[in-house]
Amino acid sequence: MANRRAFMKSGALALFATGMSGLPRFITEAAAGTQMLPMYKKNKTLVCIFQRGAMDGLMAVTPFADPALQLARPGLFMRPTAGEGGLFNLDDRHAMHPSLKSLFPYFNSKNLAVVHGVGSPNTTRSHFDAQDYMESGTPFAKGTASGWLNRAVGLLNHAPTPFSAVSVTSSLPRSLYGDVDAIAINNLQDFSIQLKGNPMAAGKAATSFEELYDQTTNELLNKTGKESFEALKILKSNNIKNYQPANGAIYPNSALGNSLKQIATLIKMDVGLEVGFAESGGWDTHFNQGTTNGIFARNLKDFSDSIAAFWQDLGERQSEVTLMTMTEFGRTVAQNGTGGTDHGRASCLFVLGNDVAGGKVYSNMGSLAKENLEDNRDLPVTTDFRAVFSAVAENHLQLKTNGNLFPDWSGASLKMML
Amino acid sequence: MKINLTSQTHKRALGYAFVFGFLFLMAFIQPAPKMPYKKAGLTEQEAALHLLNRFTFGPRPGQVEEVVKQGLENWFLEQLQPVPDNETVRVKLSSYSALTMSTDSIVNTYLQPAQLLRLAIAKGYIDKDSVDKTDRPAYREALKKLQTDYGFRPLQELQRELINQKVIRAVYSDAQLQEVLTDFWFNHFNVSLTKNQVQQLVLPYERDAIRPNVLNNFSSILFATAKHPAMLLYLDNALSISNDNAYAKRQLKAAQRLLDLNAAKKMLAAATVSEDSMQKMDAMENQMTTQIKKRKSQGLNENYAREVMELHTLGVNGGYTQSDVTELARALTGWGVKPMYEEGPLAKRFSNATPDQLMRRGLQVEDCFLYSGEKHDENAKTILGKTFPVNGGYNEGMEALAMLASHPATARFIATKMAAKFISDEPPTAVVNEMTKTFVASKGDIKEVLLSMVMHPDFWAKAKEKEKIKSPFELAVSAVRATGTEVAAPYQVFTWSEKMGQKFYFYQAPTGFPDRASFWINTGSLLNRMNFGMAIAAQKIPGFKTNLLALNQNHEPESVEEALQIYTKLLLPVTDQKENSERIMSIVRAQNIDQKIASATKDTGGMQDMQNETMAQMNNTLLKSMAQVVGVIIGSPAFQRK
Repeated sequence: MANRRAFMKSGALALFATGMSGLPRFITEAAAGTQMLPMYKKNKTLVCIFQRGAMDGLMAVTPFADPALQLARPGLFMRPTAGEGGLFNLDDRHAMHPSLKSLFPYFNSKNLAVVHGVGSPNTTRSHFDAQDYMESGTPFAKGTASGWLNRAVGLLNHAPTPFSAVSVTSSLPRSLYGDVDAIAINNLQDFSIQLKGNPMAAGKAATSFEELYDQTTNELLNKTGKESFEALKILKSNNIKNYQPANGAIYPNSALGNSLKQIATLIKMDVGLEVGFAESGGWDTHFNQGTTNGIFARNLKDFSDSIAAFWQDLGERQSEVTLMTMTEFGRTVAQNGTGGTDHGRASCLFVLGNDVAGGKVYSNMGSLAKENLEDNRDLPVTTDFRAVFSAVAENHLQLKTNGNLFPDWSGASLKMML
Repeated sequence: MKINLTSQTHKRALGYAFVFGFLFLMAFIQPAPKMPYKKAGLTEQEAALHLLNRFTFGPRPGQVEEVVKQGLENWFLEQLQPVPDNETVRVKLSSYSALTMSTDSIVNTYLQPAQLLRLAIAKGYIDKDSVDKTDRPAYREALKKLQTDYGFRPLQELQRELINQKVIRAVYSDAQLQEVLTDFWFNHFNVSLTKNQVQQLVLPYERDAIRPNVLNNFSSILFATAKHPAMLLYLDNALSISNDNAYAKRQLKAAQRLLDLNAAKKMLAAATVSEDSMQKMDAMENQMTTQIKKRKSQGLNENYAREVMELHTLGVNGGYTQSDVTELARALTGWGVKPMYEEGPLAKRFSNATPDQLMRRGLQVEDCFLYSGEKHDENAKTILGKTFPVNGGYNEGMEALAMLASHPATARFIATKMAAKFISDEPPTAVVNEMTKTFVASKGDIKEVLLSMVMHPDFWAKAKEKEKIKSPFELAVSAVRATGTEVAAPYQVFTWSEKMGQKFYFYQAPTGFPDRASFWINTGSLLNRMNFGMAIAAQKIPGFKTNLLALNQNHEPESVEEALQIYTKLLLPVTDQKENSERIMSIVRAQNIDQKIASATKDTGGMQDMQNETMAQMNNTLLKSMAQVVGVIIGSPAFQRK
């Protein structure tokens, strides 16, 4: 029985203890003087937030000076008023919804730009189709295999690294489909070797796995295995579980807040993040969307506070990062019969960064009188989304795109970056 | 050679099997050509393993020997015969009600959330002013009551049945090749649950358009997918409309006439009639104008026409032009979906229409497919150089698709894709050429193409190198099969597949998942493959039951080394041990774990001295160590490959 006991002790507890090669490559190399592995070098980071469901751009940044808007949405119209809880007048023509209070200071400091009248040349009002087209970046081709952000990473002037493109979602978004490795991870803490209820076994298995992948002759498994374990150690050593946001930033305890917090974590850990992706839902406001209060206001506040916390948290790293939001289309100019708005065409988006020519609403919007609207009902698309996406990505990430970022598009980028 | 047909009672299947059985007999009986694996230096066992790796979701324990015993050729020919679900599968699927429901019933039972909400408002379950204002529980309660009162079922239940049946069939079906091909062809003709409009239709799509056709002629899958509501909606062909036909012209003319009449009436009546009836006439005018405008504004949608050429048949370099896309789209105008949702306005109008009325609008129904002459472009078209004369109607679309199915570019494109699936990501040219030739000669017979592949030396040449990386779904199912795990909660395979990077049925783009190693293996997904290995072996997946002792005929391994040896052999049968167990062994040896243990069976005397509790604890610990060994094997590089 002693033997049996011995096996169980050695077997269960020490079976897969430390590997024979002693120190892993990551540690030896780090000790050799390179502060960070060369594979984790990067230039800048672009963070994109997709607002799924089609945000009502006319309510987020409202062209309050247009009387046609008030006529079309008597129950939803808002105008800037003095005092607490009022709208923020941006340029005597547009005003920010009060829920954007936390972002307004960045507009004032000229780091935040609003682009209004943005949308796709494809007139589809289907969420699926419009998101698909916006994310593939090819508004008339469903079969485009890659997403525009994946192509952006592929166009960087250096080889991508394991953390070049990260989506904080449970599965990979269409924007990141493509040839470049991109990872989808809901929670950075899941980036580990783990076994429910038996962390010790997991730790030992990790050592075995690392050895096995280190020794395999299959190149892909070998390389990816090494990268995985190195990445895992970096994450582990940074103690992500107890991550403390800097500069007093407080993230809302929401999906978007948590996603942005994790993206900030990755940026600060210098793992080479170049494209970060997050999502925000609940914008499909067909029913009772409300004005200063209600579902739209609540959702927009979460959106604003999450981004503001992220920006504050970044502190001096802000210079490396630019954040851009997007939504598949806008909503009808007129309110519908149920206190909401239906699927429309153009919406607005936000770009935040030190290299943004901010403090300005970029808009070619005309009067909202019915006869000026697309199909007599929708805010017309006056800025192609690709004009904004290409401006931001090309400038911020220093891409030489040669038309490869948005194939079949020859339009000009919007001049909105410094 | 024999093909066992006893379990087949279905008349058609029997006739079908007979015809093909005869063809294969002719092909194989005199003299029965052997699959050329010996030339590639493979033993019979190694070849059997290769067949199982390629044409099943992974070998079950002992299955290599079974295939050797049956004869490799016989086994493969049997797999080419579609058979009905076996008893295990039937029992496991018996509670899944949607699987046997008609598409109509599904559409009217599993309502989309928006439909449910609208109905709840219309029927007074929810006050429209309270939507999104009320407290959520009350709101959910009201929707629930509506569902109970009318017998609706939650849409998630339908998705769950779809997902679970795939898992159950992959794990338990004897018709493994049929399931592997269902996975392959679904991905080739991908539709996605991410698109709301098709959520109810993916289950019928796989069931009716894909699975029954996976071993048929290529054109039969092409036609079935082209006409299925899921595809018609996913790639928008149902929205593609032309007014260039006699029906639409007549309707538009009639509408205009009414409008003119109304205008004349208004002029005449302006002085005399009341404000009220004047308003009614205005309203009528507005309504007619909007209708005409809407009708005229809808137009051609090229999405399906483009993708059917680029992704389903010719391939991106298949030699078609933008003009061919547009012309094919015009040929397919009017291909749409029969209105099925009974609460919708269209379905009522449709079901109340007399055959005469349907004919006047040029409507033809075939299951859920609806051809609408009133939306079809009647003009002549030229597709890939072939002219389709005016008034071709529904048939010209069928002819155009048939032309695509039999095009030489399609033969090469499909042969290449099949070779990439069944041989390696970059398949050798010679075998692709051979398969292409067979595709052309057999007019797209999928069985013949598969046969020509396995009869080609290239199929076997690198079998030992295990060049294909398992997809996450393949990894999960192969682990389940290899360990003899009993799966009571099939949905767990979906949960884990998603973690490992394959949320099946949810791939958004019509390309389907890219079938190559570099897509499946990245830093995020790889760690989860290891985690999956540990979780399944350690019994940490709820609803999975793995009996590692039973797997080894209830024989306890006497040492860690023995455990490794035994389970490596079981999980990675007839595999070159250099790459796996020896490597795992070296790790173990480095740790100087060489103590022998006495097995429980040998040591029952000693065991009796112990407290039962301690015994249980010890068994528990022993199982844990075995689980670790097995977990490491499943998560190891060798098990990722096939």
